[in-house]
Amino acid sequence: MTSITFEHVTKRFPGANAPAIADVSFDVPSGAICMLLGTSGSGKTTLLRMVNRLGDPTSGQVLIDGIPTVEQDAISLRRRVGYVIQQVGLLPHLTVAENVRIVPAIIGDRSPASHQRVDALLEQVGLPPDEYRARYPAQLSGGQAQRVGLARALAADPSLLLMDEPFGALDAITRHRMQDELLNIQRTMQKTLLFVTHDVDEAFKLGDHIAVLSEGRLEQVGSPVELLAAPATPFVSRLVGADNILRQFEYLPVTTALEPGIAPDALAERIPASETLLPAVLRMMRSGQSTLAVEADGEIRGVVTLAGISRSVRARGGDISESGHL
Amino acid sequence: MSYLLDAGHWSWSDPTSIGRLLIDHLILTGLSMMIAMAIAVPLGLIAARYRRLYLPVITAAGIIYTLPSLAFMAALIPFTGLSSATVVIPLVLYAQVVLIRNIVAAIDAVDPGLVDIGRAMGMDGRQIQRYVILPLALPVIVAGLRVATVTTIGIATIAPLFGVRNLGYLIFQGFNTSYKEQVMAGVIAVSALAIIADVGLLLAQRAVQRGRQTSVVARG
Repeated sequence: MTSITFEHVTKRFPGANAPAIADVSFDVPSGAICMLLGTSGSGKTTLLRMVNRLGDPTSGQVLIDGIPTVEQDAISLRRRVGYVIQQVGLLPHLTVAENVRIVPAIIGDRSPASHQRVDALLEQVGLPPDEYRARYPAQLSGGQAQRVGLARALAADPSLLLMDEPFGALDAITRHRMQDELLNIQRTMQKTLLFVTHDVDEAFKLGDHIAVLSEGRLEQVGSPVELLAAPATPFVSRLVGADNILRQFEYLPVTTALEPGIAPDALAERIPASETLLPAVLRMMRSGQSTLAVEADGEIRGVVTLAGISRSVRARGGDISESGHL
Repeated sequence: MSYLLDAGHWSWSDPTSIGRLLIDHLILTGLSMMIAMAIAVPLGLIAARYRRLYLPVITAAGIIYTLPSLAFMAALIPFTGLSSATVVIPLVLYAQVVLIRNIVAAIDAVDPGLVDIGRAMGMDGRQIQRYVILPLALPVIVAGLRVATVTTIGIATIAPLFGVRNLGYLIFQGFNTSYKEQVMAGVIAVSALAIIADVGLLLAQRAVQRGRQTSVVARG
């Protein structure tokens, strides 16, 4: 298990006026999927690369499990951290199996166990080893190549995985499938993931934490719901689409529209407080009732009403007129 | 063809037999190419890393390349006499321009993204050379070696003028005695050697290029 702490991290590149990263501080708890979300040029890749010392902060520090990265040997640090990039970067003269095995090879592990592990890794990322082991990267599709890239990053069984827009070059269908599989894999491995993306949908789908960056500054860090329910800046509000009704329905919990009182027909329709607005609205549409009782731990905590949800969404800037975009 | 097919011209005991001359030609060319590579590889690596050195190095090699081979070798006689050195030194120097240019081009052509991912995986400098730069640059370096080797086999044909026997001996000897068959035998043997070397190194180039469908071949 691995946690990351950014402490007043600033990075200046020679010749550039503005810093690429300016005084960024936040924590990534162990086992979390933290998304670095921002437009291009926001510094998210620069921030990511400071974690495995592909670049060091000009001031401030990055700590892994409480130890500043600059006090750790860069080579051995990188060997303990998985790294996946959009361009995949498989070596074209090596087969799929050799590309995965290169990670144990560089630490001098040529044991038979490392060979067997390659097959297990390919299996894990959804590539049948018998079919893919001997292929060259030129014989793979973009999605297959990125699966190999992921297998390679997992080869040393790192507790921390850095991913720089890994699915950015894939078509929408492949991208969604890879996102689902990453979540599946993460469920069993429980690694700490730091994941760069400019795709808000991807950030919301994968992240338990999202750090929003703009022009090198940290705008906000929080859960998807926190970003949506309480955007800290107008930039965050615009970026996450706080006025996007569908996203609000999908991510905001019913408790954001909770009203006190008990509905007369509450016993008929209940909804757990952990649900989001979307299932609540769908339940209302199905049952024809405009009021639901919200329950937690078997107790009624209050009600949500269609009018209440509408008020709550409007209050957050959601446009529910027909011209409003979803 | 009769000269080539005559078993008497392949006798192993005769130092001027085709077989012996072929071996001599191979040794002279092979030795020249080995020394040439031993010089060009470090020079190429240095020029690829310190770009300011590239232009002076490649200009010097280019100027040497323009010297006529006969004159160059003749000019060395006061220093090295009639010996292999008189032939090998120009051959080594001529090869430099092609070899160095290809080595630098090969290293330049290595995708910096792959070097970066190598670093990110935790490779040290030596491992990046070994696992990333060298294998990716090798096909282009071998392509340069191929061009230089074929050229060297050809130029080496004048070696007999400086007392070094090889397949060129058949040509010069045939001229002197107006023995047309012998001249032809020499021409065919040298050409065959050049073609075999070319094809052999092409196969080597293919072998080090495995996995890559499209080939990048820089020519000198």
